Amino acid sequence: MKKKLLSILLSATMALTAFAGCGASGNGGETASGGSSSSGAEEITWMFWDDLNATEDLISLGYKDVVDRFNKDYEGVYHVTPITTNLEEYYTKLNALVASGETPDCFIVSPGPNLTTYVEPGVAADLTPYLEADGWKDTFSSDSVFSQQTYDGKIYAVPLNIAAACVFYNTEMFANAGVEVPKTYDELLDACKKLKDAGYTPITISAGTAWCLSMLCAYLFDREGVDLKAMEAGTESWKNDKTLDAVNKMLELSQYFQETAAGDTNDVATAAFYNEEAAILIQGSWAIGQINGSNAAFESKCGVFQFPGLAGGNDPNRVIAKSDSLAMSSTTKHPEAVAALMKYFTDDTAQKYTAEKGGKIPVTKVSYDEEAAPAQLAYVMDIFGNATGTFGFLNESLATTEAGSFFDDTMVSIYLGNVTPEEGLQTIEDWYVDNIR
Amino acid sequence: MKKTTKRVSIWKIVIYIFFCIMAAIYLVPLLWVFTVSFKTNAEIFSSPFSLPKQLCFDNYVVAWTAGKLGIATWNSFLVCVITLLLSMLVGSMIAFAIARMQWKLSKLVLTYFLLGMMIPVHCVLIPLFTRFAKIGLSNNLWGLVLPYLTFSLPVTIYIMSGFFRSIPNELLEAACIDGCSIYKIFFRVCLPLAKTGLFVTGLMTFVANWNELLLAMVFISDDNIKTLPVSLSKFVGPYNTNYSQMFAAIIIAIIPTIAVYCAFSNQIVDGLTAGAVKG
Amino acid sequence: MNKLLQDKKAICIFVVPGFLLFTFVLFIPICQSIFYSFCNYDALTPPKFIGFKNYTMLLRDDTMKVALKNSMFFLVFSCVTQLIMGLLLAGLLTNIQKGRNFFKNVIYLPCVLSSAALGLLWMFIFSPKLGVNQLLKMWNIKGPLWLMDTHGFIILPMWVIGFVALWQYVGQSMMLYMAQISGISKTLYEASEIDGCSKAQSFRYITLPLIKPMVGTAMSLNAIGSLKFFDLIFNMTEGGPNHATEVLATHLYTQGFKYFKYGYASAIGVVLLVMCLIMTGLINAAFKTDQYES
Repeated sequence: MKKKLLSILLSATMALTAFAGCGASGNGGETASGGSSSSGAEEITWMFWDDLNATEDLISLGYKDVVDRFNKDYEGVYHVTPITTNLEEYYTKLNALVASGETPDCFIVSPGPNLTTYVEPGVAADLTPYLEADGWKDTFSSDSVFSQQTYDGKIYAVPLNIAAACVFYNTEMFANAGVEVPKTYDELLDACKKLKDAGYTPITISAGTAWCLSMLCAYLFDREGVDLKAMEAGTESWKNDKTLDAVNKMLELSQYFQETAAGDTNDVATAAFYNEEAAILIQGSWAIGQINGSNAAFESKCGVFQFPGLAGGNDPNRVIAKSDSLAMSSTTKHPEAVAALMKYFTDDTAQKYTAEKGGKIPVTKVSYDEEAAPAQLAYVMDIFGNATGTFGFLNESLATTEAGSFFDDTMVSIYLGNVTPEEGLQTIEDWYVDNIR
Repeated sequence: MKKTTKRVSIWKIVIYIFFCIMAAIYLVPLLWVFTVSFKTNAEIFSSPFSLPKQLCFDNYVVAWTAGKLGIATWNSFLVCVITLLLSMLVGSMIAFAIARMQWKLSKLVLTYFLLGMMIPVHCVLIPLFTRFAKIGLSNNLWGLVLPYLTFSLPVTIYIMSGFFRSIPNELLEAACIDGCSIYKIFFRVCLPLAKTGLFVTGLMTFVANWNELLLAMVFISDDNIKTLPVSLSKFVGPYNTNYSQMFAAIIIAIIPTIAVYCAFSNQIVDGLTAGAVKG
Repeated sequence: MNKLLQDKKAICIFVVPGFLLFTFVLFIPICQSIFYSFCNYDALTPPKFIGFKNYTMLLRDDTMKVALKNSMFFLVFSCVTQLIMGLLLAGLLTNIQKGRNFFKNVIYLPCVLSSAALGLLWMFIFSPKLGVNQLLKMWNIKGPLWLMDTHGFIILPMWVIGFVALWQYVGQSMMLYMAQISGISKTLYEASEIDGCSKAQSFRYITLPLIKPMVGTAMSLNAIGSLKFFDLIFNMTEGGPNHATEVLATHLYTQGFKYFKYGYASAIGVVLLVMCLIMTGLINAAFKTDQYES
């Protein structure tokens, strides 16, 4: 009988090892280049929030090229292995790796509270020495691209590209309704009214995807001159005249939203724009790829303008900007390799691709072929060039990611009419008292 | 008498109409997804209810390869089969020890295992996640097998011990007289007699784990070892969703189950019901 | 014989593997979870003991109130509707011969399908630009926002999700009741027919009392199942809009794995655990008395 048991045990162990081997090969088979690492090369990991082999996102595809290029050029010296997840669970997985002491050597991160979580406990390394070592920092278009990545004068992440939130509009519908590009909020309201009278849906927006509605609110907040820092610190309440005014303006605009705005997801709302069902879309410039990719004939009809200012309000030339940034693990064994990899992401080839194919604003002084880039990018670049300052998405610039989501969700509630603007802002104030201050 | 037959037949017709409506409520959504999965994105929005103009198999190809549903199906299969075999083995060993063998603590141990039935998996999610990340079990199919196995044990033990108790004592005594060891009695005599129990518990374990989402979502991030329910969620992105591929993915996810179900529906339904009754 | 069955070594070999597994994967994590619920613990720094602070935060958390309300709604809704629909379907199915198998199998089908996939399917059916609302539009009816409407005490999306859950799981209750009904002796019904009972009467006076124990079983399955409910909601609404469709399980997931408040999420987990234990206790107590009666 012992023999029998032994044989069962043996076969179980065999199954076990075969299985473990399978899991391991699954892990290793993740390389974007497809080639296995050559022995002797310094192995580094790079963590990213999209599947490089399945993605259709042009920016992600550009990153894949960079990694492939790096692996080819440094063959036998360095080799980078990407770890990929999807966006929703990216930070969960990253945190799990950090907690288990396996922080990826290099990882992508959004500036703002997300980056702060890694800077404060010392997970992310100070990159200033590398940036200043061989004139790398001078290749960037200006020092201000680092503003969201700098803590106490030290730079903890390298931006790769910038996307700006603008107002996209259908030039044909504007012409048919006899509407000019609005410069002020009142003109915007007026334009919406004329568009509606002409039988068009003026604005398409998504409240089903909370950050889309929140982006509009962020603009209104900024144009009102809301002082986020003071509200963060507690010297001012979230419920004040300016915030109330901004939220009421959002409600005022909401009468011009498409009927299904409350339930539409971001995709559906964007599709309504490029399928020419609505005249105005307030979106980030990353949507350019999606718009032109889904309806190429629409590119020539698509105009872009800056979000209008308020009479007597704040500076109307400030723009919402969002950048992808790379951070380095403070415990990496191969900092030189990581720095070399980061340089590949900001070299001319990569940055040219960013502008021409990816439709995002490059961070370096690279010159690119404006003809090759999507038509809308030139407009966005103009707006960005004239901008007097940038600010982040509220869900990425408030104290914590949860504060950002809380703000987004509250805006949706106000829009849906579940709470009045006063009540909504009061709940944010209460939440801040409990959780932040 | 004539009157009653007439009333009964009207009554019957009403029942049949009712069940036809019920069947429609169950089948129409599935059939709808099936037709939509052959359409292009544009066609889905322009005419969601018509039959597809032309069969667009690309959705399936993309979902299967680029969407990695092929790998995901294999992973799900692997995890489920291994969990199934282990839970049948480990579970029935414990059940046998508790039901037929004589030791002081058997009642206590049974209670300990049965307590597991009441514990929702959510409660152990965070400790398991942090522990598994430390010992390299996150992003590893074994990291799924262990909790799946653990959570299927209580029901398996409960049902199997019922089957072992029903085996007549004489059989065991006869085997004992023949000079069988306790292991042989278990593997050669008792296990074959409890075949129905193994089928029922195996089926329950398999169905539950094949569809499990939460644990798999938390523990697995690597696309190459994701299971089917997790891979599905990948098609809905925060920035864009590819609808036609999504529908193809839904079909791919449910077709194997439907196929197996159609072939063995009676056994499956009866088996699962028997399991639920006993559990 | 007895010597064989008292073999300590064999008992160890049989029991120890499962026992160890159970202890390490279930028992120790539960204790850890309870400990974490008294800690300030985010993913990156080690847990720090803070006493009952997480629990006092829970009391003030509006989303927690919504999640509790929705979970309780779900519990009651699924117990009641599953009981009624399950009994109705079982009662009617036992009355027909032809096609009984077919209908039974069709209705049971969703029980074995992945709720993740079915959740996505129904999400599309209830999304504004596809499915039901487009169908209604053909008759010029403007459908409501099935999954986004947030008016009323129990909001529309919860009813919709409740309906989908009923759709998916009623097959199981139906089968449980059918198994019990087919166990009732035919002679009882024949006798009642001779006594002049109608079908409805025999259902009321023979079937119902005899399947009472099964009601307990089905109820406890439904109750625990609905407290653990996660997949359908996660794929249909992800707890939105603004956490209005959050239940305990999704709230735990969001707090734990989106905001990395492990300590706080553990406290939610403990609440969930306590509720499960209470429900099982309650139903078991009711179930036991039922058995004594019959």
